[in-house]
This record gives sequence, C-alpha cells and structure tokens, in this order.
Amino acid sequence: MSELAKMKFYCDDQRCIECNSCSVACAEAHELPTGVSRRKVITLNEGIFGKEFSTSVACMHCTDAPCEQVCPVDCFYIREDGIVLHDKEICIGCGYCLYACPFGAPQFPRDGAFGTKGAMDKCTMCAGGPEETNSSAERELYGQNRIAEGKVPMCAAMCSTKALLVGDEQEISTIYRKRVASRGKGVQSAPYGWSEEYSKQ
Amino acid sequence: MKKYLFLFIASLFLTSAAFAADSQIWDAMRIQNILEYGQDESLKLGPLFTMLQANYFAQAFLAVLVGVPAVFLLHYLVIGPKVFSHDGKKVYTFSIFNRIVHQIAAISFMVLVPTGFIMIFGANFGGGDFVRMMKDLHGLATISFAIVVIPMFLMWIKDMFLHLDDIKWLMIVGGYLSKTKRPVPAGKFNAGQKTWYWLATLGGMIMILTGASMYFLDFNIAMINSLTGLSQIDLLRVAAILHAVVGLAVVALFFVHIYMSVFVIKGAIHSIITGYKEEEEVKYLHSSWYKKLKKDGKL
Repeated sequence: MSELAKMKFYCDDQRCIECNSCSVACAEAHELPTGVSRRKVITLNEGIFGKEFSTSVACMHCTDAPCEQVCPVDCFYIREDGIVLHDKEICIGCGYCLYACPFGAPQFPRDGAFGTKGAMDKCTMCAGGPEETNSSAERELYGQNRIAEGKVPMCAAMCSTKALLVGDEQEISTIYRKRVASRGKGVQSAPYGWSEEYSKQ
Repeated sequence: MKKYLFLFIASLFLTSAAFAADSQIWDAMRIQNILEYGQDESLKLGPLFTMLQANYFAQAFLAVLVGVPAVFLLHYLVIGPKVFSHDGKKVYTFSIFNRIVHQIAAISFMVLVPTGFIMIFGANFGGGDFVRMMKDLHGLATISFAIVVIPMFLMWIKDMFLHLDDIKWLMIVGGYLSKTKRPVPAGKFNAGQKTWYWLATLGGMIMILTGASMYFLDFNIAMINSLTGLSQIDLLRVAAILHAVVGLAVVALFFVHIYMSVFVIKGAIHSIITGYKEEEEVKYLHSSWYKKLKKDGKL
C-alpha cells in the first residue's frame, strides 16, 4: 500500500447474498450493545424483478464527509488514509451527523435517563479512535483496532462471497473493473452510493 | 394550569410508547430514509442541511450575538434612554397570573438562550461534558417553557391583533429614533411588543416541537408521518433547519425585548414584577390605551 492510499469500502451488489454475516461479525467483534448496528445489509427495490439487489452499508468514510462539516463540537477527524473517525469524549450526541449522513450510519445508543442520546457510535473501519492504540480505553469506546494490527476489517474478512471489499481505493477499483470485465454482459451501473462516497474528488 | 401539566405528561407517555415500536431510522425504515438522499425525486434536504449548517447557521448566530447589542450600544449612546417620572400615579397593567406566567417563561429563556449559544459554538468550548450538560439544561428549560407557552398565548391574544396604530407605530419605529417625548400611537401593547408576542408564542411552539423531535430522534408518530409525507430522517432535517432559522429570529427579538425593558425605558422592567406601569409612561408610549382608560374613567 502506498502512502497516498485512501481507504474505501466497496460492496459488490452482484455478489452480496444478504447473509448478514458482515453485520453479525461487526457487532460481535466490537461487542456492540443491542440496538446499535454499525453495519447493516439492506435490500433495495425489493420484489421488483431484475432490479432487486442487496448491499451492505455502514459509514462509507466519505471524501468530503458531511458529518465532519456539520458537527457543532468538531469531534470528527479524518486520518491521512481517509478513515473518518470521531472522539466520543467530545461528542455531545446532538444528532446533526445523522441528518447530514447519506447512509444513515451514525447510531445513538439511548443510555441516559429520560431517553437522552449517548455519544454517537459508528463504523471505525476497525481503526479504533483517538485513544492510545490498542489500549483498553480505546477498545471499550470504539471496539477493536484491527487496522493497527495489519488485519482486514472484520466485516470484509468475514464476507463469504467477497462481495464486501475494503482497502486502497486504487486497488478496489482495479478489482471492480476486473469483475465487471469478466462478467462480460449486461449494463453495469456504478455501485450504490459511490457518487456520494467519492463526491467532489 | 393543571390541565396543561397533565397534557404534557400524557404526551411524554405517548412518546415513550412510540419508542417501544421498531426504530424509524436504523431498521427496515433505513432503506426509505437513505433512498431520499441525492436522488432526483427526493427533496435533497440532506445536502441542504449540510450546506446551511456547515456554512451559515453558526455565522448567522454570531452576527446576531455581536450585531444586535452593537446596534443597541450605538442607539443608547446617540439617542439615549427614555426616562419617565416614577413619582406619579401608577396604572395596574399585569395581573398576578400574567406575571407568574411571564416569569416562568423569562427564567426558561435565560437558560435556553445561553445554553443554545454554547451548543452552536460547542467547538469553542471543547465539546464533551460541559457542552453535554448545557444540552441537557436546554432540554430541561424547555419543559418549564412548554408549560407556560399556551397560557401565555391565551392570556394576551385578545390584545395582540393588528391595529391601525401598529402601522403608525412602525412608521416612526415607536418613536425610539427621536429624543423628544411625544405620544406614540399604541394600545395596551405596541407593534413591537405584538411582534415579539407572536414570535415568542407561535415561534416558541415551533422551537419546542422541532427541538423535541431532535431530542427524541427515533419516535414514531403516524399522524406526523402521514400529514407531512416525509421520511423520518427528512422530518429531522426539517426540524433542524427550522430550529435554527426560527431560533435566530427568537433570539434577535429576545435581545430587543431585554434592551427595551432594562435599558431604554428606564424602570420598565418593574411593571412585570409589581404589575404597575408609570402613568407618564403609559401616557406617552401607549397613548391610545391611555385615552381609552381616561374615557372609561379607570384612571
């Protein structure tokens, strides 16, 4: 991986079989509470013949992350490799990132009394948070830091059909092009959500 | 009074019952919610909210926070306050009920406005526990304001409709741009007070509703959904935009209200504490009402 690598997710909707293992693996790996699902498999155009497809969505680590733009307390930061992370100690749980997000990624565990929203929780691309890498504090707040250990994020590692890929965007688009070419039929539209994910590049 | 309290508690129970239902944002509804984004047929409220929140809202509030007091300082220095005799007779203006309702709303506003500003400029306070506490206080102060907003709306509404005096009042900006003491056309409430009344009560209700929907976030009220036809996430975006826009207007007029009662009309604030206005003040600033009182022999 080059130093200019920008990390992206890609879910091949021709391969996704809606098995939900990415979602389960994520929840288990990071010991998420019930009611919080950082990754979710959704089926679009359900029941419409020829148009139905499933895809896996989480935080897509957008290039011009809208969440980062609207946060009133500036709790977001974007790593050099493009991973969008946030500081739960700074987050006030206002919910603005959810209104801005194109993917419905930010989650709000309802842990306080009278239904107050806790700090926002979202996919970290298994890269933890601002706390010391692999410390127990980081694990407690953000889950595993598999990126620091050189491992593939849990969801992509688990995907049985290799529909869900993660890595340098150059590598990912090479694989994507190869797959499209090898299919050799039909019209391939851009993957769901890519226009948002790679906006204004 | 009690009736409103019961209504409020009942509505709280209703919303908590709504929580028991499926999530309106992250479960099956998520498809409907995220499909709205960026598509040609969608309302594109997400990008609109992002653009406004990222570039304009905080700046607009900063402009009000700095600009409005700056204009007042200039006004105070150039034209100066209106001073009326406090030794003359007094006119009983506000009943004990009026005063209690107003005071509860006033205390609520004194919490709501600063905590709101702290949230808008949360990054400058470093976020975290302090800003989170301000957010909770903002929510708590909403409860007391919600209790009095309807009584306040009802107790003054008959005096608040548009009158010919109001247009005359607006033409001379209430006489506040001149130093001379002249009778100003106004009934019991002048056009400025009326504007503030409508904004504080109707605008205040919009603030409560939009604020509550952002606070509860994942609620399911079928009536709202069928009435607006918006998906849950678009409803929240509308709430966030309205809360900022209406909030801006409320805050600006709140500053005006404080400046008028505390600084410009010397001692005017006592009328909402004791219930009595100075006769001279009524004679000049509420001349039509003064004439009417005279005619009715109530002075």
